[in-house]
Amino acid sequence: MTVLSLKRLAVIALPMAALAGMTTSVQAQEWTPSKSVEFVAPANPGGGWDTLVRTVSRVIQQEGLADENYAAINVPGGGGAVAWAQIARDSGNPHKLFATSPPIILVPLAGASRYDHTDFTPVARLITDYSIVLVSADSEYETINDLFDALKENPGLSVGGGSAPGSMDHISIAGLASAAGLEASSVNYIPFSGGGDAMTNLMGGHIEAVITGAGESVGQLGEGSQIRALGVSSPERLGGGLAEVPTYQEQGVDYTFDIWRGIMGTPDMPEEAVTYYQDLFAEMLETDGWQEARDQLGWIDAYQNSEESGVFLDEQQAQFSGVLSELGLLRQ
Amino acid sequence: MDALNNLMYGFGIALEPINIAYVFAGVFAGTIIGMLPGLGPISALALMIPITFAMEPSSGLILMAGVYYGAIFGGSTSSILLNAPGVAGTVATSFDGYPMAKKGMAGKALAIAAYSSFVGGTISVIFLMLVAPLLSKVAVSFGPAEYFALMVLGLTAVVSLSDKSLIKGLIAAVVGVIISIVGIDLQTGTERFTFGSIQLLDGIDFLVVALGIFALAEVFYMLLRGGGGKEAPRNAIGSLKLTRSEVKEIAGPVSRSSVLGFFTGVLPGAGATIGSFLGYSMEKRLAKDGDTFGKGNIKGVAAPEAANNAACTGSFVPLLTLGVPGSGTTAVLLGALLVMGVTPGPMMLEQRPDVFWGVVASMYIGNIFLLVLNLPLIPLIAKILDLPKPLLLSLILIFCMIGVYGMSFSVFDLLLLLGFGLLGLGMRLFGFPAAPLILALILGNIMEESMRRALQISGGDWMTFIDKPISLSLLLIALLSLGLPLLKKRRKRAIAE
Repeated sequence: MTVLSLKRLAVIALPMAALAGMTTSVQAQEWTPSKSVEFVAPANPGGGWDTLVRTVSRVIQQEGLADENYAAINVPGGGGAVAWAQIARDSGNPHKLFATSPPIILVPLAGASRYDHTDFTPVARLITDYSIVLVSADSEYETINDLFDALKENPGLSVGGGSAPGSMDHISIAGLASAAGLEASSVNYIPFSGGGDAMTNLMGGHIEAVITGAGESVGQLGEGSQIRALGVSSPERLGGGLAEVPTYQEQGVDYTFDIWRGIMGTPDMPEEAVTYYQDLFAEMLETDGWQEARDQLGWIDAYQNSEESGVFLDEQQAQFSGVLSELGLLRQ
Repeated sequence: MDALNNLMYGFGIALEPINIAYVFAGVFAGTIIGMLPGLGPISALALMIPITFAMEPSSGLILMAGVYYGAIFGGSTSSILLNAPGVAGTVATSFDGYPMAKKGMAGKALAIAAYSSFVGGTISVIFLMLVAPLLSKVAVSFGPAEYFALMVLGLTAVVSLSDKSLIKGLIAAVVGVIISIVGIDLQTGTERFTFGSIQLLDGIDFLVVALGIFALAEVFYMLLRGGGGKEAPRNAIGSLKLTRSEVKEIAGPVSRSSVLGFFTGVLPGAGATIGSFLGYSMEKRLAKDGDTFGKGNIKGVAAPEAANNAACTGSFVPLLTLGVPGSGTTAVLLGALLVMGVTPGPMMLEQRPDVFWGVVASMYIGNIFLLVLNLPLIPLIAKILDLPKPLLLSLILIFCMIGVYGMSFSVFDLLLLLGFGLLGLGMRLFGFPAAPLILALILGNIMEESMRRALQISGGDWMTFIDKPISLSLLLIALLSLGLPLLKKRRKRAIAE
């Protein structure tokens, strides 16, 4: 029923969208949205995508950067796959954007989505977070190398993460192990239902180490804390509460890992619209409102425009599929 | 005396006029959100983050906490009146609350729910205030092996929840476990029972099943029995007043369930739903008239209502003292606090005592507001039952559909709801109890994940469940609670012969 009616809608909507695209390109070079923009978070309220979508639309509105409203819409399901399937059918629609991050590459590689980043139009990369390796405060490991030496001797040592095997945290630690000279698959990765869950288990001494997002762990570190950070996946040291944490590279392991987040649009989004949005987001990153929100959320600006982020996504896909096939989790 | 000083300090913050207004607004909004299915506390709080963004952190958390426990407070209303739980934490309330309403005791059921929620909420705030910092150790002492043992103990309640036939209860529980398995397996990333559908990748939402099997099945059942619309119920609400003996009767269950609920809430991942089920089944086993549970026993309303509110308060322990969210709702709260520039965690009590003690004090006030707000509303809301049957049934139907659609905006979930409604009808017609299915659905997933996680950590050694003292004791209690009723039965039979 739904499929049928959507197909019918598409039959009507497609020519109209094409027509709209034509008229705008003829009328003016400066394209602007003619109605409210649907801004999709492919997940439930409260998660990373949702926070990004709501923060961006709030800043755009507060700073008066656009005339039209950016309406946050949650389409949860399948780790993003449900939303991607919907957006993929909306080809050419210039009034629909969605938040994205490594799962747009990882989920399809694991065989759980028919659509991947190549089906959509890259608009901009906005921010990044990094991975961090944590141990409990009284752990014997002082550096990332201590941990890997121990792992070499005892591959059973458990490293917890906040997501399923083959997803972000697992790829991050497996890639790190591989760079440190171990087999990627030698890490006994224990998936928990979230980074917080994994950290609780670390505090309770149920696991040896945790890999999670650096931003998520900031609140847990510092004076009086029960956990300690061994290393962070950024190319340079981070600021604030993480200034004391050395990078992997400082410790002789040549490896970085970005947990980037950005914005993508519908398949074949008209070029003028892409240009408009990428410039809008670049402008937004300069505002005080954004910088305040960004700092509070522990994000780091990592802007790339449409073209750059498209290249970046392709590189990421190559890197991830390498690690996944080492892990035997490549299903595509 | 330290706690008293701190509490006074907290009241100093919570009693500022603006904060009183926030408590009131929070619990009022929460009550309404709780009554309506679909808009659960999680999405309500996520939508509020932009509003609290610019607020003083203590005020922001006071407001949001109010919405959270207000929703658990209000969620019992639709469970009792319509057999349609508004939030997951109040499913167990419908087991006896709805039968009471059908007997013309809706007013009493709602009043008991309100009083029990109030007591549960208040007892747990006292616990939160006195022992929160100590309890953070308890919360982290539960690793995968311990969670598995806890879930096993929880599942033994299937025996007490399947009243007539144990076999039918067990079959229902197995179906519940199977439903809990649907979706992507967290341990391997493999899809199970999804039949290639992306809508099933995230599994089946608990509320879809609960609304289908309880509320929708009830509608179908009433229609089948000859949808006679003429018999208007006489005085469907009944009296709100509790007799002295009734108060005495529920005093024990309420206080026990409050404590049990609080500790369940402290454990990350357990929360209000499991707390209410544990409270219900504990009281059913302890009660002399345990066989009248499920048929409108007032203790069956009091226990889960005290437990779920206490668990809700308990879930603030890991959030505030460890900075670790134990549930989806507290995860959103954590996000909101971070946005406001407060980092919950071990240092919070020292760095931001205003937030911690302000919220604790506001919870005392909020619970009083809830009671005062809810009691006068009962006769008004319960009037719903005076509606002619065709109207009432349509209302339940709309309620369920809006609830399910509002959660995911997915037509697929509406079809699932219909499917579970039919399943629930079939179960009723053939005498299968629904409660074990729901219980197994809640516990099954955590039980399986914890077991496999524990085994993965131990390198496949099953002794890990016995080596750990907490896990071992929980398993022994589970064994006892299974064995004792059987022994009792055998002895009864022996005496009878």
